[in-house]
Amino acid sequence: MKIFGFHLMPYQGLPAGHLAGTDSSWVTLSNAVFDPALGHALYQRYLDELIAYDRAGFDGICVNEHHQSPYGMMPSPNVIAGILVPQTTCKIAILGNALPLRDHPLRVAEEVAMLDVISGGRIISGFVRGIGAEYHSFGMDPSVSRDRFYEAHDLIVAAWTRPGPFEWYGKHYKLRYVNPWPRPLQQPHPPIWSPSQGSGETVDWAARNRYTYLQTYSDIGTVRRVFDGVRAAADGYGYTLPPEQLGWALPVFVADTDAAAEAVALPALDTLFNKLMRMPKDLFFPAGYTSAASAARILASKGGLGSGDADVRALADRGYAVIGSPDTVRCKLEDYRQELGFGCLCPAFQFGSLGHDDFTASLGLFARKVMPALRARPT
Amino acid sequence: MTATTLAAEYVDVRDTRIWLARGGAGPPLLYLPDGDTDAADPALPLLTGDFRVYRPDHPGFGRSGDDPAADSVLDLAFRYVDLLDALGLDRVCLAGLSLGGWIAAQVAVLAPERVAKLVLADPAGLRPAGPAPDMFTLDPAELAALVNHEPQVRAAAIAAARAMTDDPERLARYLRNRAALAHLAWNPYLHDPKLAGRLHRIACPVLLIWGAHDGLLPPETARAWRAALPEARLELVEHAGHRPQAEQPAAFAALVREFLT
Repeated sequence: MKIFGFHLMPYQGLPAGHLAGTDSSWVTLSNAVFDPALGHALYQRYLDELIAYDRAGFDGICVNEHHQSPYGMMPSPNVIAGILVPQTTCKIAILGNALPLRDHPLRVAEEVAMLDVISGGRIISGFVRGIGAEYHSFGMDPSVSRDRFYEAHDLIVAAWTRPGPFEWYGKHYKLRYVNPWPRPLQQPHPPIWSPSQGSGETVDWAARNRYTYLQTYSDIGTVRRVFDGVRAAADGYGYTLPPEQLGWALPVFVADTDAAAEAVALPALDTLFNKLMRMPKDLFFPAGYTSAASAARILASKGGLGSGDADVRALADRGYAVIGSPDTVRCKLEDYRQELGFGCLCPAFQFGSLGHDDFTASLGLFARKVMPALRARPT
Repeated sequence: MTATTLAAEYVDVRDTRIWLARGGAGPPLLYLPDGDTDAADPALPLLTGDFRVYRPDHPGFGRSGDDPAADSVLDLAFRYVDLLDALGLDRVCLAGLSLGGWIAAQVAVLAPERVAKLVLADPAGLRPAGPAPDMFTLDPAELAALVNHEPQVRAAAIAAARAMTDDPERLARYLRNRAALAHLAWNPYLHDPKLAGRLHRIACPVLLIWGAHDGLLPPETARAWRAALPEARLELVEHAGHRPQAEQPAAFAALVREFLT
């Protein structure tokens, strides 16, 4: 199994009770509370933590983008990847660039190609749509999100693989000259990953293109259903899905005992799921962002992520996170691996309110007592 | 004057199938609704005694088909000029509510010779004045609370919005309408910065109607309309929010009838 360390770079300086009386920690939560001096210290610490994944022997480091929220201080994953490149030797997975939010996909093609060439071909290029709230943040029409995503992807891959200059007159992007320098080092282009919460359209798209599909924030039943869907879609496209083309990203925390792990991890998960991910449904799923059928389901559902009152212990029990002693975490992940057949794991050892010492201890236990067993078995 | 029921049919206009209700007798009145095609409009039956009313669902909304080429209100305005051609209507009275008001103004800019008189009720199209919530952040019940003012109407609208999840077809139309509206009006929010500079092309008399308590498009927004259309008459409707046609249908219909006849 391949192991990639994830990190969300949460802003940890919200004053106690700051979110009381608001239903959103995205888009409208004033940035006046952001303390740049604290931000500076957090960035130093988080960069050290990201580099610790490389030192722990992980296959790679995951960075991603989110906007206008204390949920993460990484609006530009390419900037963070650029800082990591000279300080690491492992892969760097950008999960991903939110294509429809960019006015110009060629910027993504250029930046990722730069990183790939500079890093000697260590870049994995994830492409995502960005979450619903981010369509508010950028004033971007959510009803064309999927169309823009597809076209931006097609344009970027063409820019990486077709000798330029060529013309591109699509629905959303119109260019007289497509001819980016540099071209990527990895040929025909860096591996493309598709992180998603499991929409049918994305599952089909990833399988059709033979991209690595990465499931995020889901209960185990959803993960099972979606992974089965990816395998079935691959079968439909005439190939057997290799396990390394299935990835799973989730918070992981390891301590000496289950009780010790829960004591530290559950409050941090509460911060992650109930404070930093808090947003009303119409912010989370803006008009036209999902298919009408999905939107109807979402509107009819009560509670859940974003509502601010999720039972985090229940979420952990349902597979939103894996926490416990090294034995517990190893057994759970082994069982999940055997049951679900994924070959790529992207654990986030930093989430919510976790402190640096807890992060370091958890990562160390995982690297010594969990990872060798996961790696020993063929996937 | 007797109210008649509207009969619905589909009219194919170039690539788009437009759902169109029509009825009544008198001069033709093209009546463009707001973006929620299911919202009740008790003023409409009050107009069929004096006008031959044509009330479509906009392309991409309600029961109409999609217009794949429509990315803006201007695109829809072109389609409505096509509709006038398809119906053989040379010149009409034109009324529009909210989103429909924006489209109506755009039609009158685009084809002033086709519009005899223009009624704009709480129209979108110019930048909303004053503080107003972003409707795209609101759930159906919150939106119902924002656009309705009279306590009874508002309570009923909120209840209906909450009950929507029990009616899959109604919910599907709501979601489609909302996505279609987002496509036209997400950014710039509910307006077109170029519209004000084009309104001088409107050649006909204009009546602006505004709910005095419009929480979505505050009545102060009317100032910008009057600055661009100095001859326009403005009527504030008391005891009404964003939908005076629903909250004060008799007063609304009387204003429209008196202006158009």
